[in-house]
Amino acid sequence: MTAIDTTTIAARLVTEPRRTTRRRRRALVGYAFIAPAVILFLVLGLYTIAYSFGLSFAKWNGFSPTWEWVGLKNYGDLLYADPRLAPEIRNAAVNTGIAMVAVSLGTVLIALPLATLLNSVTRLRGLIRSVFFLPYVTAGIAVYYAWRYVLEPDGAVNLALRAVGLGSLARPQGFLADPDTALPTLIVIMIWGGVPVAMLLYLAGLQAIDPAVIEAASLDGAGPVRRLRHITWPLLVPITVAILLLGLRDTMQGFQIFLIMTNGGPGGHTDVLGLEAYQQAFLQSLSPTLGVASALGWLIFIAALLLAVVNTRLLRSRQ
Amino acid sequence: MIGNRRIFAAVAAVALAFGAAACGGDDEGDAAGGSLTMWTFKRTHVEALQQAAAAFKAKTGTEVKVEAYAPDDVFTAKIQSAAQTKDLPDVLELHSGGEDLRVGGGGLLADLKGDFDGKLDRFLPSTRESGRVTQQRKDSVEELSGATVGSLYSVPFTAGTFGIVYANKEKLKAAGLDPAKPPATWEQFLDYLKATTAADKDQGGLSLGLKVTQTGFNWIYEQLAFAYLGQQKFVALFGKGSAAGFGSPDGVKTLDLYAQLKPYWMPGASALGIDEADIAFAQGKSAFNVGGTFTLAFLAQNNMKPENVLAFPIPPATGGAVSDLRLAPLALTGLSVTSTSANKDVAARWVDFLTSPEGAGIFAKASLDLPATDLGTQAESLIGPDLAALQQFFTGPAQNTYDAGNRGFRPPDYDEVEMGDPLLKLSPLGEADAAGTGRTLDTVIKAMWDAK
Repeated sequence: MTAIDTTTIAARLVTEPRRTTRRRRRALVGYAFIAPAVILFLVLGLYTIAYSFGLSFAKWNGFSPTWEWVGLKNYGDLLYADPRLAPEIRNAAVNTGIAMVAVSLGTVLIALPLATLLNSVTRLRGLIRSVFFLPYVTAGIAVYYAWRYVLEPDGAVNLALRAVGLGSLARPQGFLADPDTALPTLIVIMIWGGVPVAMLLYLAGLQAIDPAVIEAASLDGAGPVRRLRHITWPLLVPITVAILLLGLRDTMQGFQIFLIMTNGGPGGHTDVLGLEAYQQAFLQSLSPTLGVASALGWLIFIAALLLAVVNTRLLRSRQ
Repeated sequence: MIGNRRIFAAVAAVALAFGAAACGGDDEGDAAGGSLTMWTFKRTHVEALQQAAAAFKAKTGTEVKVEAYAPDDVFTAKIQSAAQTKDLPDVLELHSGGEDLRVGGGGLLADLKGDFDGKLDRFLPSTRESGRVTQQRKDSVEELSGATVGSLYSVPFTAGTFGIVYANKEKLKAAGLDPAKPPATWEQFLDYLKATTAADKDQGGLSLGLKVTQTGFNWIYEQLAFAYLGQQKFVALFGKGSAAGFGSPDGVKTLDLYAQLKPYWMPGASALGIDEADIAFAQGKSAFNVGGTFTLAFLAQNNMKPENVLAFPIPPATGGAVSDLRLAPLALTGLSVTSTSANKDVAARWVDFLTSPEGAGIFAKASLDLPATDLGTQAESLIGPDLAALQQFFTGPAQNTYDAGNRGFRPPDYDEVEMGDPLLKLSPLGEADAAGTGRTLDTVIKAMWDAK
């Protein structure tokens, strides 16, 4: 061993503990930075998930000192056992299913052509994109109220239909009070709110397609329809799957629009599962129905989980 | 140095997280120092309560902070979360005859028996026992299973009744009707509706907040059915395994009477909330509006002059058992002291003041809502002639008096929403006929009885 080696080893022996201390310190700093997020997740995430899961097997009104354990009764009541509740849930499930399919498909059918058009526009693209994006920025409680006024018997939609000679399409009871139009109307509004994000996703997908591929196809004699069908569409399928599944999930879990615009009416024609869960939890005059609401929330969660599995499978199969 | 800064930043982040969590802790001090907090679910009561609180402060030095949480679902969630965090106020204004008993049975309310048993005669007779735990209530309300019979969880605060029809006098006049003469029978009422809708097809109909479906059942059908069938047969509609239920010939007849309203609902009635329907009437979008005694105050707040309103109870059908229908007042809201209040005695004194003739008078004058406290001869001067006039419908022979507060004959798990939904499908939606609606209602009633 030379003198230089000895010096190097001595230097390492001195610096190694310093590096270790520094590494530890860095790790501690890192842990400290993620600690708030972890604590919040533990408190607001895991705790509430475990709490609501436990609650779904109990009867409770939100303030009594004890829960009354009822086992699987809440789930049974929701699915078949309670002759008052089960039919309501079945009706809400059907409405939810219709809305999920219609909103998701409607969003794709409108967003894709819009994005294609926008992609072909060279002037004012930013402005047009912003205009198309407005419904997403403005969607919310205030907009739902605005829609209600527009859809009233003497609202703007009926007035416009009558003004252009389409009075036979006007609804004398308004679009939300008429059992035939209430759910379709809400579906249209949800599509209106969902199109902007879908359109942006499609636009990003379209802009990511290599122009050389399109150009090569054109040189080979492929027209616009063939190019769309055989090149553009296959490349956009993963985005379409994502948009469909996002739409399905949002419609399954969201209920604000139903609560604000119709409260499930008229006569249950717009009742959906999310709204049922909310009503069971908070609109039963403090009756002990939080357990039923929680059980319904878990049933919705299971359905969402199945959707997520389908999502993953579909995306994998495309890859 | 940079390392130290990072450590400080990290420590600060953790401290911030704990600090944020700590923000959810108890907000102590409201009840201390002779001050009280009161929650109500009625925004329209806040100003009147504040006026009463000012008078209370002048008398006792105790300040009362009044807070409103509305609508009902927000109020419910507020109570539930406050109960968990032990952050309830000192005094609550709750719905009478159900909500107060459930909250009391859940252990959140103090027993006011000792403070108020000797003072209940200050209230209208039919409201006095609204907050009392009786054996019958204990048997039917799940949360009262551990409660002591005789406990008093609330004292009545506001009173009134449902089933009051308000007519726009100008629209009556425009339809060629006498604006001073209310219809005496259901058939006349339908004639009035026919006339007003003929005069103004779009804005001459009947408004009611049918988005809250039970309003049709509670505010029109029950009164109509009671008057047609009489007390005994009306009670039989709700009986356990009753052959005289809603699907019986008598029951179907009453549903047929209700269905006669179908052509006269204002457009879009089934999408209107209660307040929205009242506002529509105040704005002249309907000729008639159904509500309760409490509706007049709301109409006045929405710029409808009480002198332009003709008020009368749901008229009885010709050939029925009752030809002069009376409506017993019931306690609509009650006042409760929470069991967690640090100032129970002071809170009870505030409730005492608020339900005394003086406090109730201040409240009534400012809110135009009928207090449960019997104001006697002062009533007209305090609440005005229009509201006082509604009290004429309260008194009459027992057999002619529909008492919405009498719930004893209904199933223990009675849910009025489930009764309202089928009725909405009968009218205005027209998706079912009277016989089918009767069968559905019987099924619902049976399920409610079986649920217990």
